[in-house]
Amino acid sequence: MMTGSARPGPSRESIVPLSVLTLAAVALGAIGSLGFVLGAVVAVGGVAISAALGWDPRWGARRYALLPVLLALGILALTAPPGPAPELLAGAGAVALLAGIAADPDRPPGGLARGAFGWGLPGLAVGLAWAGTYILPPSAAPVGVAGGLVAAAVVGLAVLIRRPDLAEPAPTL
Amino acid sequence: MTGPPSAPRPLRWRTRTFLLLGGGLVAAVAAVLARQPALLFLGLPLLLAPLAAVLAGPPRDPRATLEWRVDGSGPEVDVVGRIELAPPTRPTEVEVRFDRPTALTERAPPRIERDPTSISFSLSWHTDEPVIAPVAPPHVVWADPLGLVEREVALEAPSLAIERYPPELLRLGTVRLERTILLPGETRSHRIGSSGEFFGIRDATPSEPPRRINWPASARAGRLLANEFELDRTGDVLLLLDARPSPLGRAIDERLLSIATAAAYGVADSFLREKARVGLGVFGEFLDVVPLAGGRTQRLRLRRALLATHLTSSPGPPERCAIAVRRQFPPGVTTIVFTTLGDETSDHLLTHLRWRGFPTLVVSPSPLPLQEAARTLSEEEERLVARLARLVRRDRLARVWEHAPVVDWEEYWSLGGLVDLLRRPGRWGRRA
Repeated sequence: MMTGSARPGPSRESIVPLSVLTLAAVALGAIGSLGFVLGAVVAVGGVAISAALGWDPRWGARRYALLPVLLALGILALTAPPGPAPELLAGAGAVALLAGIAADPDRPPGGLARGAFGWGLPGLAVGLAWAGTYILPPSAAPVGVAGGLVAAAVVGLAVLIRRPDLAEPAPTL
Repeated sequence: MTGPPSAPRPLRWRTRTFLLLGGGLVAAVAAVLARQPALLFLGLPLLLAPLAAVLAGPPRDPRATLEWRVDGSGPEVDVVGRIELAPPTRPTEVEVRFDRPTALTERAPPRIERDPTSISFSLSWHTDEPVIAPVAPPHVVWADPLGLVEREVALEAPSLAIERYPPELLRLGTVRLERTILLPGETRSHRIGSSGEFFGIRDATPSEPPRRINWPASARAGRLLANEFELDRTGDVLLLLDARPSPLGRAIDERLLSIATAAAYGVADSFLREKARVGLGVFGEFLDVVPLAGGRTQRLRLRRALLATHLTSSPGPPERCAIAVRRQFPPGVTTIVFTTLGDETSDHLLTHLRWRGFPTLVVSPSPLPLQEAARTLSEEEERLVARLARLVRRDRLARVWEHAPVVDWEEYWSLGGLVDLLRRPGRWGRRA
């Protein structure tokens, strides 16, 4: 069975999220307890193995291409010291990973823009959580969390107003 | 045509979603256990992504229509089609996957082009042998841009089949076949021509031959009128496919049966075009029959029966086949038997058919080309094995010639031997 047209290799639009992902992972490794060299090896290795597994759309192992990079990010986040920078880097790495998925070369071009909601909403959540934790003063942190919840509710409402059928119960067969 | 579905197709999560959710959950749990907030920030986007994918707005009931056809000639098969998507589904949101029939190989990757409302595709396949095979409609699925969730698009598609058989069969229909009914005039053709039973009178054309002019009618009408006739049927033909296994092995047997099936369809198609009646028997354990008939409906019946033909695992005795043929078909009908002649029971089948009054002609797809392609011995041993196999084959054919004329079909893209044999009755004029 064939899937779509064969366009092996990453597309041009996937280079930006892949670069952000690599940089975030390398930076996370550099500030972690693994040390710069080992951290960079884990970061670049994870991204490279994932990119290699996802190289050709016809490969069966492609569906598991996310595993190495997820594992690498997990190891790097686990060994990072607590602080605003590692948390921002971990969140940015995860969002860049989602954006990289949207820019899949197997899909029609323009996936990064079309999938903006898919990686933008988690990005917004990470941004709000990080800002609520570190930018707002400690006494205003609950306000930040509440603000995030309100923003999420507004986004949800906007989506449901645009697509009211999403709120309908599934038909019984 | 596949009818429109009554209920919307359900949303399905893809493997990638479970990976993200699993990764997010593991990160969240590890964050709590290890008191490591960075893991929480890593897991949060992974957990939210599937939710965002659903909220992004999958179409409730995506629909599409497909127009497609088979192009190309001979071994080259090109399937060209266009998928029209019903709004609001956009072509950029849709993935198309194709199933290729097992007998075909891919010549080039599929070409897919998207415009604002439709998707055009072109598939380039190749077949080494004659083949008749259905083409499954493509799987069309809507998927979110991250590829986390999908919903099948209800596709309205006409059925499509690949029909490739030797081109000589196209001129086979003009062969005069034996009649097998007492009053041929009672089963007239609907085709109008210059001979046969009188049908009616029409205005003569300037090039009309004088013999066709109806002179008394022309005198009465004051203008030239010509006679029209209903063309006679050319006769009847029975195609008998031997779907029993042989010592050649299941893989080779299946390929040879597939080749024979394609040839049988070509022969049937050619004779049906000339208004002959064509019947079909497929003999495995028992005889499956399509009775003698003509016309387009019979063509569809035969195609359906041939597409359903498969190699049996429990072969029936040859006499059973002959008895069943005698019950289902009138004796004397020209019978073309497609068999590999892989063992002696094939000889017995022909003998029993002759005893029951069926003038038989054998088309035997040769297993030698397939065996040569599959060998793994040394060059010298292969030469010896090939020579022995050829001798055995020749001996088998010689034995069968005692009962019926045989077409040794070794070059699969040519059946000129069959056409020659049928066109010159003197060469095979064995009657029951």
